[in-house]
Amino acid sequence: MGDGRAGGANRPAWLQQYELIGKIGEGTYGLVFLARLKPSHPAPGRRGPPIAIKKFKQSKEGDGVSPTAIREIMLLREINHENVVKLVNVHINHADMSLYLAFDYAEHDLYEIIRHHREKLSSSINPYTVKSLLWQLLNGLNYLHSNWIIHRDLKPSNILVMGEGDEHGIIKIADFGLARIYQAPLKPLCDNGVVVTIWYRAPELLLGGKHYTSAVDMWAVGCIFAELLTLKPLFQGVEAKNTPNPFQLDQLDKIFKVLGHPTVEKWPTLANLPWWQNDQQHIQGHKYDNPGLHNIVHLPPKSPAFDLLSKMLEYDPRKRITAAQALEHEYFRMEPLPGRNALLPSQPGEKIVPYPVRPVDTTTDFEGTTSLQPTQPPSGNAPPGGQSVARPMPRQMPQQPMVGGMPRVAAGANMAAFNAASQAGMAGLNPGNIPMQRGAGGQSHPHQLRRKADQGMGMQNPGYPQQKRRF
Amino acid sequence: MADFRTSTQRERWIFQPHDLMERWAAANQRAVQTLAQYGTTRLSVDLLDGSVSYPEPAPDHVEGSSGIKPLSYEEEQLTRVFYEQKIQEVCAAFKFPHKIQATAIIYFKRFYLQWSVMEHHPKHIMLTCVYASCKVEENHVSAEELGKGIQQDHQIILNNEMILLKTLDFDLIVYAPYRSIEGFIDDLEDFCRVGNGPFQRLKELRQAAVSHVDKMMLTDAPLLYTPGQLALAALHKSNDLLRVVNFERYLETIFSRQHSDCPVEQFVQSINTINYLVDQLNIPTVKDLRHVDRKLKHCWDPSSHDEHKKKEKKSKHKSKRTSTDAQLNS
Repeated sequence: MGDGRAGGANRPAWLQQYELIGKIGEGTYGLVFLARLKPSHPAPGRRGPPIAIKKFKQSKEGDGVSPTAIREIMLLREINHENVVKLVNVHINHADMSLYLAFDYAEHDLYEIIRHHREKLSSSINPYTVKSLLWQLLNGLNYLHSNWIIHRDLKPSNILVMGEGDEHGIIKIADFGLARIYQAPLKPLCDNGVVVTIWYRAPELLLGGKHYTSAVDMWAVGCIFAELLTLKPLFQGVEAKNTPNPFQLDQLDKIFKVLGHPTVEKWPTLANLPWWQNDQQHIQGHKYDNPGLHNIVHLPPKSPAFDLLSKMLEYDPRKRITAAQALEHEYFRMEPLPGRNALLPSQPGEKIVPYPVRPVDTTTDFEGTTSLQPTQPPSGNAPPGGQSVARPMPRQMPQQPMVGGMPRVAAGANMAAFNAASQAGMAGLNPGNIPMQRGAGGQSHPHQLRRKADQGMGMQNPGYPQQKRRF
Repeated sequence: MADFRTSTQRERWIFQPHDLMERWAAANQRAVQTLAQYGTTRLSVDLLDGSVSYPEPAPDHVEGSSGIKPLSYEEEQLTRVFYEQKIQEVCAAFKFPHKIQATAIIYFKRFYLQWSVMEHHPKHIMLTCVYASCKVEENHVSAEELGKGIQQDHQIILNNEMILLKTLDFDLIVYAPYRSIEGFIDDLEDFCRVGNGPFQRLKELRQAAVSHVDKMMLTDAPLLYTPGQLALAALHKSNDLLRVVNFERYLETIFSRQHSDCPVEQFVQSINTINYLVDQLNIPTVKDLRHVDRKLKHCWDPSSHDEHKKKEKKSKHKSKRTSTDAQLNS
């Protein structure tokens, strides 16, 4: 039955409130589209606000609504914070029981910002921007953690940054598909699969720890902080994929090389972690002696920035700095002070960095079917030429990382460093090693979800104290 | 989500008693009108846009002519309680964690604030609530497994999942009083240790409170009070029976700590109201419900009413046609 093909007269009513622009992302969970809300009083030249629409694929045949979608929606319905994506609407497509989540659109994300500096500008991100991004990330995370939510999949592509508008330069933490409520100590959280891109995965998880705490997110923040400073992923391990939950020796090795080996003296519960006991030879064999973190991030060992970073990369999760503590750190009290618009130029009169806008694939309709169904017309918004149907999408967005861009793919294919790889699969995890999206690699984008300025389409949870300190 | 204060439950799903009555009355009224107009109350969901549409009127249906009687407000209430208690039975049969039944019951209650049982069959919604609750509480059970376990067609569950989620407005995180009981018991332990009672008996108190909350879940209380209030009411009631601690004194210590803006007296009053609701609870038996169930069946499927009438007629050997029969027999 009618599946809401774009342009068709039988599009569901909810879909008709949007003007589809194109596809901006794809992952194991489904697809992300950019659309504009049609203005309620159309006039020439008037455009509605941009909205990112995340389409969840149906879950296993015969098992109803995707549990990942349900989890993400239910968490997002309860939270409301300036530094967390805002879910503005949920739409249901009854024809195939799929859900469409509408978010405020964010033009940028840390992955693209970092890449732009590394590849196009060949210059570092200015210190004001780094500090503001980090502060806002911690601010959003502190909110989540104080609401007992662990994100579990923080990585640069999940951290969105608003483009021009009221919220320009504001960070939005996105993608809650793996997030969990933890109700410690009554209900310890046990993992049921591989979680979190390994490059940002905390050592206690790499060593087989099953108990998630908010400290796993702080480790990821530390990795992201270093990446903002150096424009390179801090610990770029090659992911082992042979078993469902394999031992990631290479990732640990990368960490040890930089931070030195962990010891039971400094991290007492280390002795209880499964892999510590099982693989003594590799982990306990002190290969590396000279911790060289400050050399890698080019920070003086005595600087507040370095102090904060090393507290985030503390081995013992119980000693690792919390988001609340980090926000109080000296680093944020010295010039340049963090600001609300992280993308402002650092000096008055200096030019604002023109980050590229997100590439949009205009040949794919809301069903995401165009590339597969040669006979199907593209969406009404497709530019001329988009008609040529079976045209492979990939080259339309040449700079995009590959789809199944897990780190191992990059390594295996010997691709240039982080370029193709760092996304580690937009979905973050790929439990059964299910082959990723249709078609050859290179078809899609690693991004997850986006948002833009407040729309007030319902679902807000007003009244939560906005933490605007120091802005 | 552990912060109830900013939760959707607190913001959108705790009501005043008159709100509840208005909603139930409105849903009932709508179904009554549908029945008069179309001769049936069964709604169908449009698969394309998800809109709910009214039934096709029977070709020969004359408005207001149907002999089918709608359920009254009270009968709807009875039906809801019956199926809520069924939720507990089903969850117990599957040995699900306690939280599952509580969440499912809250979903069920919220669903029928917006729909009449005549519009969406409570048996179907009950199963769908259990299914959705399992998904949310990370105790995933496939629809098939669930359906098999209670000899029901699992397609019913899948067909109703979306309408349920939509009606709940995707507010799926639910706070039940059970966790609050755990919290208060922890706290009571400290209270006992400083000489206010034998903390060894707290386990007993906890168990009594939990089974009291099980009953409470079948009343309107979960739509009227916060889980903390419900838990305290249950502990209060259980302590009245078991006499473990001096509860008045405990309430005072809680209040002195909390600098709450609501006075203790008001709080004690809400505890009393909650326990009054539990005392008034009347769980209908299958037999009690037989009559209502038949009415419901006719509302859903007018032909079943015809059959029923025909049988009646045959047995009575009457040939006189009433205006109703004219429609039924054509």
